[in-house]
Amino acid sequence: MDGEALLLTLRLAGTTTLVLLTMAVPLAWWIVRGGGFGRALVQAVVGLPLILPPTVLGFYLLVMLGPVTWPGRMIVRVLGHPLAFSFAGLVVGSILYSLPFAVQPLVAGFRGVDRGYLDAAAGLGVGPGETFRRVVLPMSRASLLAAGVLTFSHTVGEFGVVLMLGGNLPGATRTLSIVLFDQVQNFDYAAANRTAGVLLGLSVVALMALYSRRGNQVV
Amino acid sequence: MADFKHRIGSLQLEIALASTAPWTVLFGPSGSGKSTVLRVIAGLVRPSQGRVVAGRRVLMDTEAGVFVEAHRRGVRWAGQTAMLFPRMTVRENLEFGLADAERVRGAIAHFELEGLAEKRPGELSGGERQRVGVVRAAVGEAELLLLDEPFTGLDAGRREELIGRLREWIGGTPVVSVTHDVGEAFLLGAEVVRIGEGRVVAQGAVEVVLGEERERLRTVLRQ
Repeated sequence: MDGEALLLTLRLAGTTTLVLLTMAVPLAWWIVRGGGFGRALVQAVVGLPLILPPTVLGFYLLVMLGPVTWPGRMIVRVLGHPLAFSFAGLVVGSILYSLPFAVQPLVAGFRGVDRGYLDAAAGLGVGPGETFRRVVLPMSRASLLAAGVLTFSHTVGEFGVVLMLGGNLPGATRTLSIVLFDQVQNFDYAAANRTAGVLLGLSVVALMALYSRRGNQVV
Repeated sequence: MADFKHRIGSLQLEIALASTAPWTVLFGPSGSGKSTVLRVIAGLVRPSQGRVVAGRRVLMDTEAGVFVEAHRRGVRWAGQTAMLFPRMTVRENLEFGLADAERVRGAIAHFELEGLAEKRPGELSGGERQRVGVVRAAVGEAELLLLDEPFTGLDAGRREELIGRLREWIGGTPVVSVTHDVGEAFLLGAEVVRIGEGRVVAQGAVEVVLGEERERLRTVLRQ
């Protein structure tokens, strides 16, 4: 069992989940409350990773974050190194790739909050920010949990984007799914079985956490 | 004062009403647009054209491009259904948006809600939810209190009791409420604005506007 890869995978999934939830909550609320062409475009961009092959996303990110494009050159100037083939680059790729897994449960959850509660709050003189924080978010706890668990699990199992954008650098970009791929390539099925077992276990635990909470929720 | 035009589906609302009475009742059949009038005054609906003034304050004037957002209007509104926030206790619902916890404690005692204060809305009966919804709107200080069918679902005794306690609690705060119940309008003894098919068809003292309606109901009940 590659402990270093396991820790890196958990670090990547944890970082991605934290950053993505912070971004996804306001984004999902804007999708629910916003309107017009902008919303349709944003929803299409958010949902794109669901149908786009991960290698395609990884390829574009590799090109965009590399030193041949102006964003890539800017990043090199600021950080002193390109984002490609680094942990930070993997986080960026994971955020984009897992975006729909965070945003869509939140959109569904926020849509489920009856508009009457927002009217009731406004009718009591409470502004939209406080209403969102004290009424909408508590009523969407199950969706927040679902978004967190799905993002975490999806990032743990990520392969195509990681391989394209991060390569296979031990301690920096070599996650468990890359280790598993290497083990199979080397016909080391016993080690591959152990790695796959860990990935399977993580997924089952995450889903159990999700469903055990959902079964007990009080609305 | 409210004077506005607004379309809801096939109903064109053209409302012009003014009242300085302490308690004004909007009376009319279901679908006549009276709840929308309340929502327009509360700022929850933005009409295509018109003007709303509460006291000396202009809350909306489409010609002048004025639209004060609902939460900044200084009015408090309760809808037809209580819409109590389900993750909060009754006490937390009453405290929502208020800095004065002492006032909430006073309201709980005044409306005899001690037994319900720590319960969640899911644990309340329909009538209790309705009562708490009305108290939640009334608990905070406001320039105008707007109540949409506030006593629906309450039995006659509870309704009279709540009206009495409400009058004591709000003091001089003007109220506009909505009802389609003739008896309730007489119970409130208020200025009545009768709305039919999106227009004000009569306005005045309850005896004048709904006197005939009450006699007709009495005749029907005697038969």
